[in-house]
Amino acid sequence: MMHVSPIREPLINGEKSYNDITNDVMAPVKAKPGKLWYVGLTISALLALAGVGAIIYTIWNGIGLWGVNRTIGWGWSITNFVWWVGIGHVGTFISAILLLFRQKWRTSINRAAEAMTLFAVMCAGLFPLIHMGRLPLGFFIFPYPNTRELWPNFNSPLLWDVFAITTYLLVSLLFWYMGLIPDLGTIRDKMKTAWKKKVYNFLSFGWKGSARHWSRHESMSLILAGLAAPLVLSVHTIVSFDFATSIIPGWHTTIFPPYFVSGAVFSGFAMVLTLMIVTRKALNLEEYITVGHVESMNKVIIATGSIVGIAYITELFMAWYSGVEYERYAFVNRALGPYAWAYWIMMTCNVISPQLLWIRKLRRNLAFTFGLSIFINIGMWFERFVIVVTSLHRDYLPSSWAMYKPTWVEVLIYLGTFGIFFTFFFIFIRVFPVIAMAEVKSVARSSARKFLGKSVKQKPEKNH
Amino acid sequence: MSSIVYGHFTDELDLLDAVKELQEKGIKIADVRTPFPVHGLDTALNLRRSRLPKVAFIAGAVGGTLGMLFQIWVFTVGWPLNIGGKPQLAIPSFIPVAFELTVLFAAFAMGIAFLLRSNLGPGQIPDILDEDVTNDHFQVILSEKNNQVTEPELIEALKAAGALDVKHVNSTK
Amino acid sequence: MSEEKKYWHLLEEFEPVKDIRLPKGPEEVTSPVSRRNFLKALGLGTASAALIASCKRPVEKAIPYFIKPEEIAPGKAVYYASSYFSQNEYCNVLVKVRDSRPIKLEPNPKSQVTPNGTSGKVQASVMDVYNINRYEHPLKDGEPVSWEDADNEIKNQLRNLANEGQTILLITPTLISPSTKKLIAEFVSTFGAEWHQYDAVPMNGYREANLRVFGTDAIPEYHFDKADCIVSVGCDFLGTWLSPIEFTRQYAHRRDLHRENPNLNKHYQIEAGMSLTGSNADDRIKVEREDYGKILAYLHNKITLSSSTTATTNIQFPQETANALDNVAKTLLQNKGNSLLVCGDNNPDHQVLVNSINQTLGNIGKTIRFGRNYNHYRGTEEWFERLSNANPRAVILWDVNPIYNHPESEKIKDAIENASLTVSLHSLPDETAELCRYVLPSTGYLECWDDAEYKTGIYSVMQPTLHKLFDSRQAQETLLTWLGNENSWADYIKNHWNTNYFPLQNQNTDQERYWVEILRNGEFVSDNTETSPSFNSGEIGIALNNSVSENSGEGFTVELVENVNIGTGHGPLNPWLQECPDPVTRIAWGNYASISPRLAREMEIKNGDVVLIGDMPGIPAFVQPGQADKTISIALGYGRRSGIPEDLVTGVNAFPLTKIKNGFRNYSSSGFNIKKTGEFEKLALVQGHQSMEGRPIVRVATYEEWKENPAAGNEMHEKVKHHLHSLYEKHDYPGHKWGMAIDLNKCIGCSACVLACNTENNIPVVGKKEVSRAHEMHWLRIDRYYTGNEENPEVVRQPVMCQHCDNAPCENVCPVAATNHSDEGLNQMAYNRCIGTRYCNNNCPYKVRRFNWLDYTGADAIPNNRYDPANMTLDLPRMRHNPDVTVRAKGVIEKCSFCVQRIQKEKLDAKKEGRPMQDGKLKSACQQACPADAIVFGDLNDPNSKVSKLMKDPRNYHLLEELHTLPSVGYLTKIKNKS
Repeated sequence: MMHVSPIREPLINGEKSYNDITNDVMAPVKAKPGKLWYVGLTISALLALAGVGAIIYTIWNGIGLWGVNRTIGWGWSITNFVWWVGIGHVGTFISAILLLFRQKWRTSINRAAEAMTLFAVMCAGLFPLIHMGRLPLGFFIFPYPNTRELWPNFNSPLLWDVFAITTYLLVSLLFWYMGLIPDLGTIRDKMKTAWKKKVYNFLSFGWKGSARHWSRHESMSLILAGLAAPLVLSVHTIVSFDFATSIIPGWHTTIFPPYFVSGAVFSGFAMVLTLMIVTRKALNLEEYITVGHVESMNKVIIATGSIVGIAYITELFMAWYSGVEYERYAFVNRALGPYAWAYWIMMTCNVISPQLLWIRKLRRNLAFTFGLSIFINIGMWFERFVIVVTSLHRDYLPSSWAMYKPTWVEVLIYLGTFGIFFTFFFIFIRVFPVIAMAEVKSVARSSARKFLGKSVKQKPEKNH
Repeated sequence: MSSIVYGHFTDELDLLDAVKELQEKGIKIADVRTPFPVHGLDTALNLRRSRLPKVAFIAGAVGGTLGMLFQIWVFTVGWPLNIGGKPQLAIPSFIPVAFELTVLFAAFAMGIAFLLRSNLGPGQIPDILDEDVTNDHFQVILSEKNNQVTEPELIEALKAAGALDVKHVNSTK
Repeated sequence: MSEEKKYWHLLEEFEPVKDIRLPKGPEEVTSPVSRRNFLKALGLGTASAALIASCKRPVEKAIPYFIKPEEIAPGKAVYYASSYFSQNEYCNVLVKVRDSRPIKLEPNPKSQVTPNGTSGKVQASVMDVYNINRYEHPLKDGEPVSWEDADNEIKNQLRNLANEGQTILLITPTLISPSTKKLIAEFVSTFGAEWHQYDAVPMNGYREANLRVFGTDAIPEYHFDKADCIVSVGCDFLGTWLSPIEFTRQYAHRRDLHRENPNLNKHYQIEAGMSLTGSNADDRIKVEREDYGKILAYLHNKITLSSSTTATTNIQFPQETANALDNVAKTLLQNKGNSLLVCGDNNPDHQVLVNSINQTLGNIGKTIRFGRNYNHYRGTEEWFERLSNANPRAVILWDVNPIYNHPESEKIKDAIENASLTVSLHSLPDETAELCRYVLPSTGYLECWDDAEYKTGIYSVMQPTLHKLFDSRQAQETLLTWLGNENSWADYIKNHWNTNYFPLQNQNTDQERYWVEILRNGEFVSDNTETSPSFNSGEIGIALNNSVSENSGEGFTVELVENVNIGTGHGPLNPWLQECPDPVTRIAWGNYASISPRLAREMEIKNGDVVLIGDMPGIPAFVQPGQADKTISIALGYGRRSGIPEDLVTGVNAFPLTKIKNGFRNYSSSGFNIKKTGEFEKLALVQGHQSMEGRPIVRVATYEEWKENPAAGNEMHEKVKHHLHSLYEKHDYPGHKWGMAIDLNKCIGCSACVLACNTENNIPVVGKKEVSRAHEMHWLRIDRYYTGNEENPEVVRQPVMCQHCDNAPCENVCPVAATNHSDEGLNQMAYNRCIGTRYCNNNCPYKVRRFNWLDYTGADAIPNNRYDPANMTLDLPRMRHNPDVTVRAKGVIEKCSFCVQRIQKEKLDAKKEGRPMQDGKLKSACQQACPADAIVFGDLNDPNSKVSKLMKDPRNYHLLEELHTLPSVGYLTKIKNKS
C-alpha cells in the first residue's frame, strides 16, 4: 500500500515538523546576513563591475581588442556562451523533467537550481550580444516592421538562438516565480516587521493557500513542466545547430543535438553540486540537502557524462568512417594538433573522471564530489573551446590556417560574468527561500524521517 | 448578516478525515487552506478540474501557427530573397522559431490565466484568518450562508471533526 | 575595352556630355518603378539614420561650385593618358580622374609597351600624390622661403661658381625624358655643370659587357615570348629585372595553354634565393649565389665547346647540379635561335659570358634585338668619384638618395656638407634631401607635364591630372627659371616634340592636331631601325677566367634582392605597398634574412628570431624553403627613416652591404657569419602554413600529361560533378550571371591585382601589428603553397577572392540577411545591415571574408576610437578614395564584390547607348591590372563570352567544388613543363 519502499533513505533527516521546515528554510531570510556573505557579495560585485568595464571598452573600440581573427571568428565569447547556457539547463531540467518523472528528491534543490539557471542564462545571453561588431544596431535581429521591408533571416541558426534563449529565459522565470508564490506567502506570514510583510505580500500576489488555488497551481505546474521539458531540450539543440548546420569540419555533425543536451545537463548538475555543497553548509540545510541528494545528482552525472564520452568517441569514429579528408584531419588535429592539450583536458575531465562515481563511497563523499564538480565545469568549458576554436583554426584552405590566443579583455569579460552570476546568487539566498518549502512539506510525509514508520502504521495515505 | 466558522488541524490526514466527516453530515465547506497541496483534498472537496490546460493548448496553437505563417509570408510574399541557393519556402528552417513561440505563448497565457482566475496578483490583500495556514495549519472554513444549520451547530460539527481552537467571525461576505 | 573611352587634355577638347536622359531600354520598360522602390530608397535613408542613431557625427559643410568647371561632371570619371616611370618600371597608363582627383591608374590599351596590365607599384603610385609627408613649400635651411628669393640666391651663386670655374654637380636618377635631357644639356652648358645619373641598383656592369662583346652599351629588347627555352641565372625578370611588366606579359603569353596554342615554353631558373621568377620556373636549380660565375662558365663551355670554340676549364659541381646544368645546356642547344639566357648580375664578366652564349645560340636578333633599346639604367658610379674627389662647390640633387642607398653614405654626407650650395629638387623628402640647404620641392608625376622615351623610338607623355596640391614646382620648371627661360615647361616639351617627332610621322599635317593626338593616345611610336651588332670574342677568355677564379670564401654569402613591391626604397613611403605581402614569403611590413631550412635546423633558428649578420643591425630570420644553404637573402629598400611616419619605418637598410668592385656594384658579398641574438620579432606573415596537406586545392599536371589528356590533374572535376545532387531546384539567373576564370598557369603572383583591388575598393591599411594578428583586410590574396621537398620545393600559387558561390554557406547563417544572392549571381554584402556576428566568415570555407576589427577607416559612429597607424584616414590620403565604393565602418564584414560598381557602370553605359553589353568591355579591377591576363571576368549566361569558354575548358575546376558551394570562380590547372 505504502509507496515508500523501506530501503529508500529519507529525503529529510532530523525530526522535522512542518514548522521546523518553515523556520529552517526561512532562517537566512529572517536573520541578519553574516560577514562572509558581505565579503562574498562585495568580491562578486567588484568582479562584475570589472567585467562590465571590459565590455564597454570592447564595444567602444571594437572586437579587434580580442584575439579572434580572420580565421577564428569566434573565440572565448561563444565558448563562454555555450558553457553558460549549458549550465543554465539544469534548473528547469530538475524542476520540469524530474517533476514529470515524479522524482521527489528534486524538491530540495529545484528552487536553487532554477535560480542558478536564470542567472546562468543571463550571463550566457550576454556573449552573443557583445561579440557583435555593431551592438548598437543589434536590434536588426528582431522582426520589427520597417520601411525597408527588411526581415531577419529565418534560416540562420543564430536567429533561432535568439528566439530559443529569450523564450527559455522568460519561461524559466515564469516557472520559477509561480513556484515561489506560496513560499513568499509563508515568509509574509512569518515576517513581523510591517514593511517586510507588505513587500512580501506584494511579491506573493496575496497568496492564502486556498485549496482551489492549490489545485489550479498544481495543474499549472504540471503543464508548465510539460512545456518546459521539451523547451529545455530544444534550447541546447538549437545552440548546437549553430555548429551542426555549418560546413566547417568538426562542426558539421548530426549527433550534436543529443550530445550537446546531455553535455549541458552534465555541466549543469556539476554546477548545482558546486553551489549546493557549499550552500547547505553555509545556510545549515544539511538535513534537507542530504548526502542522498548529492548521490542522486552524481548518478545523473555518471549517466550524462557517459553519454558525452560516447559522443566524443562517435565523433572520432564518424570522422574516420565518413572518409572525408577534411573531417578526418579536423579530428586528428584536435587530438594531436597545436590545441591537443585542450582536447586532452576535456577528455580527462569529462570522460574519465566521472567514471569514478561508479564507486558508491565516492558518490557519497562530499569533498570528492565537490572537487569533481569543479573538474567537470572546467572540462565542459574546454569541450566548447575545442569545438569552437580547434575546428575553425584549421579548416579547408591551409593558406588561411591560424592560431588564436585570448587577450586580457576577453579573460576579464569571462571573469566578469562570474561576478554577475554570484552577485545575483548572493542576493537570491537572502531574499528568497533557497528550498521550496511547500513542495518539501508535500513530500515530507512520504520521505521525511519524522513521518517514516509512523505513517506506515497509520491511516493509508491517499497517494497517486 | 452571516458569520464564518473556522478551525484548523495540524495533520493533513486528520484534515482529510474531518472533511469527509463534515460532508457526510451534509455540511458544505466554504474553503480549506493548507500550507501545501494535500493529495486527495480536491477530490474530497470534489473541486472541478482546472481548465488551465485548455487555455495553454489554445494559446500554444495560436502562437505556433502565427509564427509559422509569419515566417512563410516573409520569405515568399514579403521579400523573397535568394539566400544560399535555398528555396524561399524552407519549412524545416521555420520550425525552431515556430516551436519556441508555441511554448512562449502557452506558458504565459496559462500563467496569466491562473492569476486572473484565482484573482491573485501584485497588491492583492488576502483575508487571512490564521497566519499559520502557510506554515503548518490545515484550516477548514465553514460559512453560515451556504449552510442550512446555525452557527453553534457548525462550531459543534467542526469541534466534533477534531478541529483545534475553533473560532467564528461575523463577516459581511 | 576602353577604345571607346575619350581622354581629353584641355578645356577646348572637351565635348559636353550628351543628353543623359536614359533611352527607354527594354529593362526600363519591364522593370516596375514602383512605390516599393521609392520606399526602399526611403528605407536607405532610414538605414543611415539608424546607423548614426547611436552617436552624433560632426557636421561636414560642402561648398558647391560657383561656376562649374566644364571638365568636371560630378560622378563621371575622366581619363587622361600619362606614363609612369621609376627605376625599372615604365607603364603607359590612363589616369582615372573623378571630381578632378586622380584616383586610379589603368593600363593604356593603346600602348606599345604595356597595353594590358600594370604592376603593383604602378597601382599604388597614385597614392604618392597624396603622400602626407610631401614638402608643402620651398625651404632654406629648413625655414620656408619664397620661390623668388630662393631662385635669385641660387642663380647668383651658380653664376659666381661658374665664373670661378668651380665644379657644379647635378645628380639625377636615370632620366628617360628627351625634353628634360635637352633642358639639362642647356643647363650644363650655361653653368659649366656636370650631370650624372645614378641608379640605386645600376646595370652599368651589364652595359659594360654589351660594350665589350657587341661594341654598344645599349640595353637590347628581350623577347621572352619568342623563346621556347628560357634560362635565367639569378635573374628575377618577372619581378624586378629591367622591365618586368613587359616581360610578364611576354612570359604569360607562352604559358597560355589551350588547343589553339599548345606550345608551352620551358623555363629553367638557376638561383640561390627563391625569387618570384624562380618560384614560377618549370625547373628550379638551386645553387649557391657565389657560383653564378662558375655556372655561366660551365654552361659556356658546354655550349660553345659543342659548337667548337676552344675554352677549357674544368669546374666541379655536385653530381646532381652538374646533371641539371648539362640538361639545361642540352635544351638550349636544341632551341638554337629561339632560346634565351639571362643573368641578373651586374658583374660584366658574367654578362660577357651570357652574351657569348646567346651569340653562340644565335639568339641575337631573334630573342634579343638591338634597335628598340631600353633607355633606362644609364646610371654609373662616376658621380660618386666626382663628388668625393672633385670637391664640388655646388651639388644639385634631384630625386636621388645616396645617403640611404649607397654604402659610402658617410663620405657622401661630408661632400654634400662641404659644398657651399646644395639644392634638392626632390618631390618627396628623404635622407639626402634633408642635408640640402635649399629644398625646392618638385611635383608628383600626376601633377606635372613630362615626356619619356623608355624604348628608343617609343615616345610618351605625362600630363597633369590635378591642380598642384602644394606650393611645389616641377624640377624642370626650376631649371628653366634658373636658365632665365620664360617658356612654360609644357611649351618646351611641345616645341621639342614638334621639332623632333612631328617630322617622323605623316598622319597629321597640323602640329596642333598631332599634339592633341599624342595626348589622347599617350604614346607615339616611330619606325624601328633594328641594328645587328658586331660580335667581339676577345673579352671572353678573361671573363671566363675571372668567373671561374671567383672563390666562394668562408662563411655565408649575403644576396641582396629587390622585393617586387618595395623596390629600392620608394615603396616604404607607400602604405599600400608595405601592406602587400611578398608573393614568395607572404610577409608584409619589413624585411628579413631568408635562410635555408637546413641552416635553421642546425642553428635552431625559428621564423622571427633576430639574427646578426656581419656588422648589420639585427634582422629577423625567415626560413625559406628552396634557399641555398650558404646564401642568405635580404631585401633592399627597407629601413627608410626620413619622409616616413614613425609607424611605417620597418625593416633594416641592407644597402650598406653592397660592394663596389672596380666601378660596378655587386649585390652579393661573402664572408659573413650569422648568429642569434635571442631576441624575437613577430613577422607580419599572412600565410603560416605552407603545404596543401594533399588537398586538391591547386591542381597541377605536367606538360606531357596535358598533351595526353587536357584534363590531366583535374580528373576529380568530372567525378565530383556526378556526385553533386541537390534536393532543391536551382534558382535561375535571367539576364546576366557574372563569373571569373583564373588561369593558374599564367598567374605569376606579382600582386598587381591585390593592389588594384586595394585602390579600387578603398581597402583600409591596418599596419604591421594587425597584419601579424591575422587582421589583414585584403579582399584578394594570392595563396602560395610548396610541394615536394623543402630543399628545393615546387611552388604553386592561387589568387583567392570571394568565390560568389550559388550555394553560399555564408548567406544561410547571417541572422539579418545582410549577405544574400543577387539575381546576377553576385554574393552581395549590405554593409548597412551587417551587425558583425562574423558567423558568415566562420562558415566561409575559403575564408575570404574580412571583418573591420577596429575603426580602420574613421567611418565608425563612435568617436575617439580610430586605429590608423598608416595615417590613411587623414584628409590628404582620403582624397584618393574611390567615391563609387562605400568606406566600411568598424564592426562590419566586407569582401570581394566582383567590382559591382564597375558592373553597374558598364550596364548603365550600355543602357545609355541602347546596346547589349559587350564581352571584355567590363573588367574587374584585378583583371584589368593583371599583366599576365590570368584573370578573365564576364557573363556566364553569354555562351560566347571568354569566361564561359574557359569554364568549359577541361583544365577548369572550382575550388573545393566537392562541397557543392557552386562557386562562380573557376581555376585552370597549372601545367608545369617538367623535364
